[in-house]
Amino acid sequence: MKTKIQWLSLFGFLFLAANCSAFDLRQSLKDKLKVDVPQVNPKLTEAVSVAKEVRGPDETEEIAIGRQISGNLLGAAPLVKDAKLQKYVNQVGAWVASQSERPDLPWHFGVIQSDDVNAFAAPGGYIFVTLGLYRLLQNEADLAGVLGHEVGHVIRKHHLKILQQSQLVEAGSNILSRQVGNDKLQNLIGSGAEIVARGLDKDAEFEADRIGVVLATRAGYDAYGLPGVLQQIGHFAAADNSVALLFKTHPLPDDRLNKLDSAMGERFDSIKGQTLEKRFYRVKK
Amino acid sequence: MKKFLIWAIACCVLCGAPLAWAAESGTLTKNDELKAQPYRDAKTLKALAAGEKISILGKDGGWYKIKAGKSRGWVRMLSVRKGNAKKAASATGLLALASGRNATGKVVATTGIRGLNEEELKAASFNADEIQLAESYAVNQADARKFAAKGKLLARPFDYLPQPQ
Repeated sequence: MKTKIQWLSLFGFLFLAANCSAFDLRQSLKDKLKVDVPQVNPKLTEAVSVAKEVRGPDETEEIAIGRQISGNLLGAAPLVKDAKLQKYVNQVGAWVASQSERPDLPWHFGVIQSDDVNAFAAPGGYIFVTLGLYRLLQNEADLAGVLGHEVGHVIRKHHLKILQQSQLVEAGSNILSRQVGNDKLQNLIGSGAEIVARGLDKDAEFEADRIGVVLATRAGYDAYGLPGVLQQIGHFAAADNSVALLFKTHPLPDDRLNKLDSAMGERFDSIKGQTLEKRFYRVKK
Repeated sequence: MKKFLIWAIACCVLCGAPLAWAAESGTLTKNDELKAQPYRDAKTLKALAAGEKISILGKDGGWYKIKAGKSRGWVRMLSVRKGNAKKAASATGLLALASGRNATGKVVATTGIRGLNEEELKAASFNADEIQLAESYAVNQADARKFAAKGKLLARPFDYLPQPQ
């Protein structure tokens, strides 16, 4: 019991210490121990701040970035004005996202008014599917697979990494550590919602596909929703305007299906899942 | 009501496939087997060769119900690509599309009027009302669990897939 209390107090001290800034801690140690604590090497401080930059923005900042991007995207294509549809997509999306390692993000899903076939993810858990893509879906498992792919981009921070690679972040990381106005945030993400029009690395897309089928499976759905949608999209002529941006920013559906085939193999053979065709919310044509 | 049911059943029997499915064409992308049922250990009906044209009649999980020549059976969905595999013909068009240029080097428009093109996305400005509306539809984890339970969706562990070599 006694040792337990000792341990607890040690933890308590460490907890308090962690909450003090480095300077205060040094000062208080100095006062307590009456010894001269050596100055922190300035090069070391520099290294620490570089490390912070590499680590990137924290979760609050990530959400603020994603919110700004999403608000811009909605400026280009507003939500479909169908509350039942929006609620339904959030129900499916929230359930799929809860199977990921970031269940506590404030996840948001929406269907946007566009005939294009596409879906977008922004940092912090904002995900949008175009009406053109939604209309291709046959059941809830298809939707779960598509949303799972986008959740994959968010949890692996694919877009955030792009922002970090660009010149924007060097300025950004410091700006973001303080309270920021929308203007500074906007500078960070570039012009409008261009970040979502910029293609990710092919491997990031393949990774998101693998995550999409796994999250749908974990959520109890048929794993083959996403591959089925990719089959449908692969059917589109490449010259079709509605898939122009999608094909420009993603590997072609056939490549994605080949990669999924190799990755999935026979692993899903004994796994059955639901498609929930009857519950699937259908939009009016 | 009874009449309707009889009609519905008759339709299903006549079509021999789920109602939503109209036959679509497809092509085998690799050698595989036509199975009597949609699972791995089912009886093999015949061998299918890469490049073979088939009709897709239905879907069950990772399997397509197909017609290959005169035989009907099941094949792995990922061994098939929908369409007639005439995509090679449009490969140049596709490359041009990817670079935003056609074969002559002229910049071509990549999206239609109602689509979302890069210029529109770049020019877009923040819509506060829409983002607030989007956020108003948020579903918390407890409600998501209820929604899942209603659909008899059971969460289960499944490891992420390694990147294929």
